[in-house]
Amino acid sequence: MDATILFLAQLIVSSVIALAIATLYSLVLPGIERKIQARIQQRVGPPILMPGFWSVIKFMYKARTEPIAQMPRFYKFLIGFGVGVVSLLFLFNTPYWWFMLGWGSILGIAGMLKLEEVIYVFMGSQSQSIMSTSMPVPDTVRGSKWPNIRREFNEQHSAERSLKMMLIGSLPLYLALLVPFIVAQSVNIGSVVVTQNPAYSPFNSWLSFSLPTSPILFTVPGFIAAIVYFLGFVVMLNEKPFTILKAKIDMIEGGVLEYAANLRAGYYLMRNLLMFALSSIFVTLFLGIPFDPFMPAMFLMNMVLSLMLPIALSVLVAFSPIFTFRQIYPTAIGLSALGVLAMILALSI
Amino acid sequence: MTEANNEKMIEKELSFGPVHPALIEPYRIRLFVNDEIVEDCEININMAYRGMEKLFDGLPVEKALLIAERVCGICSHVHAWNAVRVIECGLGIEVPPRADYIRVLVQEFQRITSHLIFFGHAFEVVGHETLAMRALLLREQFMDLMQYVGGNRVMPSVPIIGGIRPRADLTDSLKKTILERCDAFEAKYAQYVQRILDDPLVISRVNGIGLLTKEDAIKYHATGPTGRASGWRYDLRTEMKEYKPFDFNVIVLDGCDTKDRVVDRALEVLESLKIIHQVVKNLPDGPVVNRNWVAKEMPFTTAYLETYRGEVMHTYGLDHQGLVRNYQIRTPTITNLAAMEHACVGDHVTEAILTIASCDPCLTCCTRTEVVDSGKRRTMTDYEIVRKYGWRK
Repeated sequence: MDATILFLAQLIVSSVIALAIATLYSLVLPGIERKIQARIQQRVGPPILMPGFWSVIKFMYKARTEPIAQMPRFYKFLIGFGVGVVSLLFLFNTPYWWFMLGWGSILGIAGMLKLEEVIYVFMGSQSQSIMSTSMPVPDTVRGSKWPNIRREFNEQHSAERSLKMMLIGSLPLYLALLVPFIVAQSVNIGSVVVTQNPAYSPFNSWLSFSLPTSPILFTVPGFIAAIVYFLGFVVMLNEKPFTILKAKIDMIEGGVLEYAANLRAGYYLMRNLLMFALSSIFVTLFLGIPFDPFMPAMFLMNMVLSLMLPIALSVLVAFSPIFTFRQIYPTAIGLSALGVLAMILALSI
Repeated sequence: MTEANNEKMIEKELSFGPVHPALIEPYRIRLFVNDEIVEDCEININMAYRGMEKLFDGLPVEKALLIAERVCGICSHVHAWNAVRVIECGLGIEVPPRADYIRVLVQEFQRITSHLIFFGHAFEVVGHETLAMRALLLREQFMDLMQYVGGNRVMPSVPIIGGIRPRADLTDSLKKTILERCDAFEAKYAQYVQRILDDPLVISRVNGIGLLTKEDAIKYHATGPTGRASGWRYDLRTEMKEYKPFDFNVIVLDGCDTKDRVVDRALEVLESLKIIHQVVKNLPDGPVVNRNWVAKEMPFTTAYLETYRGEVMHTYGLDHQGLVRNYQIRTPTITNLAAMEHACVGDHVTEAILTIASCDPCLTCCTRTEVVDSGKRRTMTDYEIVRKYGWRK
């Protein structure tokens, strides 16, 4: 068989297996997250499968409603687009994609992450829920000091916040992502893995496994970058304390407010898969253990270690308030400075 | 960008509610903002009408006073107590000292539960679920105590005209239980408050926002802890004869911000515990109710009481048959509304919602009668209502 066709067949099979495992596994993560938070708050909490798995199934079978949006078809398309972007983000991290047009590199990961971020800007600018300005009854008080002010939907304000978070909030994550590539002196994920785990090759036997000999996480710049990466992970997931663009107390759900039924299920799939994708990327880049769908030992190790970030996230969420931009700007600047410090230190390794 | 008057430029309006998961009651907040900064705020209430005053009209006084307790689920005892204080004052009914002590006891139980539910709501708005859950968990002990005393967690129905219900009298074992629960609560509560004050993330969210100066507090008639956290020393309990036997401090802080409104309530809980200890230890012997009274014509009489959110007013009269006429209630939130609107200015949008929550609004309780007539909307005074629709037959 032609080598190219064989490679493409392996790529397709590995992608299907990887996505199937990742999707199923990612549906368990919200349950673990919620259970830990509940225990911290002295509550029993929901069953593990309830918030991820069963809620997605439930929403898929709910009666479909048309979202109120400026362009409803575009608004609905964004969910499918988001799931696609996050799936590719995860797949670029798997070994067979490392050989595809340079997508398995910092460029592929950063590109997909930026696309994922921009989706929230589009969602926010589209959604027009009844929760803010479109009340079905007259709602302006006679005698108001400000009778003719431009009124904005909450979701549109959320879109503006998303833009700010894109510019400032997520910067530390990208700086932290660069550190393993600086240590490996390459832009390819494959080189980063081999630097830490020289015995690993995607073409090894399916029963084989190899442990990393020099994980970047256990170096000074790697450790600093890991902390910055974790907080960037929180920003990307829009979780507390960086949940300003969908703060319950004002923006409610932000741009995703109008998604219901199957679209809501799609949004949960996207969010859960993003959580696992970012965790898996962390294990690949900072520990040198990739998610190889053809090596059960490797992908199981990756999956188990990927729990680190969601567990840490649960604890952080349980003990954090929501930051406003008064706190977010200095935090993002401080984290970016730490990220730059990690990069400078990484140059000396 | 729109220029609406000569002083400020406003970029846009953001409105929240009345259907909104963060607002526990139906009201609407209109924020006029530049980017994230609130330049002005309007709070529109009047979304839920219950017509309480009309319900009272023409009812026998004992029956009517049961409705008073239903004005609010958090300060039920306040309304029940102040409703009976009106007739006791108007007809000169003597209340046995033991009954007064037990009324004060339930009042302070409910003050603690009210302040703890305030913490629950405020920290939910801050986004700190764990502190919110812990507050509600701590509150359970006093909800239980209210049930032990009054027979119900939410509507204990302790005061009646001339005293308290005999079932609410304290036994020795109940007194012991109250003291034990209070001691256990005090230790846990101190840790809870210390944790709030030690948490830099939480403090960064509440410190220096929602500024309401003493002058503004007085100007806008801020009452209760909202006014006291702005340095205004005003607590009606210091003037009430029912509170004369007890030694407690009025907590007055001068930070004028959201943090001080939280801390003021936190310290008031400790003062309430002090009062509860004094009630239980110094409870006088004697009857708990004076039934030596008859409902008869009574001129319009007014009574004021310091509730957990500020000053509440009840006023009504009795006709020659002893039926209630022209009942009026003014809850503290009405007088705090303008202060809330003012305190939001200059904050970020997310902080503005917290500032409103920090004034502990109870908006459904303060919504009064409204009549929609020929497409024109206006609030009628009770006199106008009586004149137009007559007494309830």
